[in-house]
Amino acid sequence: MNVQDALLEKLQEFFRDSKVYEFMNRDVICVTPDKTLLHVKEIMRIKRISGVPVVDDGKRVIGIVSLEDIIKALEGNYIRESVEKRMTKNVVSLHENDTLQDALKAFEKYGYGRFPVVDDENKLVGIVTKHDIIYFLLTKLGLIYLHDRRMEEVLERSTSLVTGEALERGKADFVFHIDYFDVNKIGIGAARLKRFLMEKGLDEELVRRVAIATYEAEANVVIHSGSDGYIYCFLDDEKIAVRVEDRGKGIENIELAMKEGYSTAPDHIRELGFGAGMGLPNMKRYSDRMVIISEVGKGVVVELMFFRREKDENKGDR
Amino acid sequence: MKIREIAEKLGLKHVCGNLDEEVKYGFTCDLLSEVLGRAKPGTLWITVQTHVNIVAVATVVGIKGIVLCNGHEYDKETVEKAVQSGIVLLKSEENSFLVSGKIYELGLR
Repeated sequence: MNVQDALLEKLQEFFRDSKVYEFMNRDVICVTPDKTLLHVKEIMRIKRISGVPVVDDGKRVIGIVSLEDIIKALEGNYIRESVEKRMTKNVVSLHENDTLQDALKAFEKYGYGRFPVVDDENKLVGIVTKHDIIYFLLTKLGLIYLHDRRMEEVLERSTSLVTGEALERGKADFVFHIDYFDVNKIGIGAARLKRFLMEKGLDEELVRRVAIATYEAEANVVIHSGSDGYIYCFLDDEKIAVRVEDRGKGIENIELAMKEGYSTAPDHIRELGFGAGMGLPNMKRYSDRMVIISEVGKGVVVELMFFRREKDENKGDR
Repeated sequence: MKIREIAEKLGLKHVCGNLDEEVKYGFTCDLLSEVLGRAKPGTLWITVQTHVNIVAVATVVGIKGIVLCNGHEYDKETVEKAVQSGIVLLKSEENSFLVSGKIYELGLR
């Protein structure tokens, strides 16, 4: 069983009654039947997707073109033919009100990589992959860690890992380049972010939480990544999002790294009081949502979300 | 309680910072993440760490002052950074246990 399936199995029991519309990707890319397979191939390449639903004028689903269809077209030398002629016509769709359990059964039964989602009128409203479901489930749990080949894709994407909204690096309210390898300098970025947020007039306790979690993330970049990194902060009326990224060594085992007291810091770093194995646990503790994505050799992305609410009822007496 | 009162009663050496800062809590630990995770704002921190990063930790957490024990010396950059950041630095020849106990007796918690 692969990692995705194992995760799904573990998590589905808690959320089996969630509806498809809660976790489907609404930003679905589709084509009309008059286009060529070559056209579809280009869409797949550019958008990095592996299946495209085909819709008629009324946006009703009439077929689907998968990566497999494209490969067959290339082999059979009919890539320039129309979608209508070559698409898979008996499409299995999910309804937006189907449950998570229904969706997982469909994946199991048909073995497809994706299912179009339709409404009562059979109109296309979204698409679901296992990846969407995993994102949804883990976000519900308040913590995501993913550990697979998608790292590269994730590093490039500019949407929030937590909420799915746009977090474009160029539009960050605060950017700090962690360009040093000296442990003595750890905290410069966090302290600057703290000052920046205080100047914005944000609640002091909230800013403190942001600063502490950011400090830990910054320390990880300096001590463990072996590369430089960036701190981005995005503000809006409801929340503060902090994203800390590096392109370094990555985390071997995130589950282990999340454990309090576990550390891979070398002795000379520990003597300075680092490496207590509390970095990731502290980040989780002080943030409202936390997502870590990492792959060995590719780097780490940590996204921390802090909600700007009056009362912090979940977080007790920190 | 003002840091000045604690410094005077314990005979701590003043290295830098405004002794009129108020503190309510004490925290004794040498692991930075423990301090980050558990110390409250308005704390006087008792430690044996001397490097400049303790100032960054203090700034982030909202720690007002640091008491360095066992007769250790602060690194030069630590003092410079503390002056910039407005963190009070103090020193003691005694160990962390004794310093903590005395500060507790004065009423910090």
